[in-house]
Amino acid sequence: MNALGTNLFQGLNLEKEMKRWNQLYKIMTEPRPEIVPTPRQIVWKKNKATLWYHPAKEKRHAIPVFLVYSLLNKAYILDIGKGSSVVGGLTERGYDVYLLDWGSPGLEDSAITLENYIIDYLENALKRALRHSDAKEISLAGYCLGGTIAAILASITDLPIKNLSLAAVPIDFSIGIFPNNLLEGLQTGQLNLDRFADAHGTIPSEVMYLIFRMVSPGFASSTINLVTRAHDEKYVEKWRRMDKWTKDSVSFAGAAFKQLFNDLYQENKLLKGELVIGGRKVDLKKINCPLFVFSCSRDTIILEKQSLPLMDLVSSKDKTYEVYEGGHVSLALTGVFAEVWDNWLSARS
Amino acid sequence: MSNDKIFEPFIGLNKLGEMWDQQLNGLLYNLADNKEFVRTASSGLNTYSMYLERLRKSQELFASLMNIPTKKDVAEAAKLSIQTEEKIDLLEEQIWKLQDSISSITKENLGMFEEVVNIVLQMKDEFQKMAQSVAETQKINAGLQELRKEIERGLFEIRREKQKKEPEKKQDKELVLTGNIK
Repeated sequence: MNALGTNLFQGLNLEKEMKRWNQLYKIMTEPRPEIVPTPRQIVWKKNKATLWYHPAKEKRHAIPVFLVYSLLNKAYILDIGKGSSVVGGLTERGYDVYLLDWGSPGLEDSAITLENYIIDYLENALKRALRHSDAKEISLAGYCLGGTIAAILASITDLPIKNLSLAAVPIDFSIGIFPNNLLEGLQTGQLNLDRFADAHGTIPSEVMYLIFRMVSPGFASSTINLVTRAHDEKYVEKWRRMDKWTKDSVSFAGAAFKQLFNDLYQENKLLKGELVIGGRKVDLKKINCPLFVFSCSRDTIILEKQSLPLMDLVSSKDKTYEVYEGGHVSLALTGVFAEVWDNWLSARS
Repeated sequence: MSNDKIFEPFIGLNKLGEMWDQQLNGLLYNLADNKEFVRTASSGLNTYSMYLERLRKSQELFASLMNIPTKKDVAEAAKLSIQTEEKIDLLEEQIWKLQDSISSITKENLGMFEEVVNIVLQMKDEFQKMAQSVAETQKINAGLQELRKEIERGLFEIRREKQKKEPEKKQDKELVLTGNIK
């Protein structure tokens, strides 16, 4: 084959090319890969949300960890498959892991607000994780908007949060990836999304996917990357999982959508200390537990500037800020988040 | 040497793709970064929302005329099940509180029972000591009783001997008085 290849195309590795196009053919014809989660059991279910418990392979830390992912995407990015799972990495390092999967809201959930998500879902889930684990304290970690939600909860709850870790977290909403005029339009109310949210009730996942595509419209490089490295089976496997997760978007409750844009993007209430959740004023100064915040250098969705103000707002004495090489989800997708977090957390658990 | 070179057409293509994405993103970013775009987007969103509202209303109207359920009706039914779930959660929390108070009461009771057991054990010791002292007292009592009997017997003997000696003394006295002493 090689000889034939050499004759036909000088320097072209035909075997590699066969593999490349075979893999691409497979991607086009085979169904999307099934994501096999780390061994788990259900602790609690509320509406569409599920609290999963992933027991440690060999328990080495008394304090369990609780993971919160964004409301805008599915939580299985944190448990995307053996070898690159954040949850799997943590259980292998001896932590009991609780993961809150928000689920995808239906039309019946259109009235769910951020308050409901934070108090009725997250705080209750945390209570249940504490009771289930029989631990006196718990370490809380949030990724992206999940980090914002975790920070809000940490500043209003009485629950014993031992450590707080936030990855790629937006705190300052006055800056962002949107063009300045668009952002100004959102902030001044010229571009109001209330009617759009009300008309939908719950914004369907297809519309949410479109919004994401508008935020980052270029998709050619991802496909060309795949073609370029399609001969590498491991890369193809990861690409397929990532592709599945990217296209597997969630719907969004209209009331929470409005609150997100009005209270956070328009009025930046979280940073100003004016946000009120469940009758409790959100004051980030009330966060006094050990804090670990990290951003990704090539993040095109959440800018480093959006996370940094948190470091000055909290009253924690033990606080660490790091920047890692990678894109918005690469630390979660590669499972590096587990390693990064363990380095900081192990001495505090 | 030129024959050993590996031909990798996709590396160049990859670079082109990245450039294309950057250019496209930049172009769209610049297009969106003006007030006119914001105004157009705003009116576009409002128009879209208005037509969606109308469509929903007419769908509801037709569905009610045809007497068929809409997604809204299904959502209302689903809300009931969510409410039930919330009530179950509240009940579960009440059960937790009960369990906690029962376990704290059990702990208190356990402490109390331990105290009672200690008292009972102490009482047992005391009773044993008392039983021993009662047994000793009984022995002393028996000894005293025997001693009493001995004394009574001795007294009786003394009295009897005394009584025996009494008539002899009387006779001697009479003889002395009558002078019939031989």
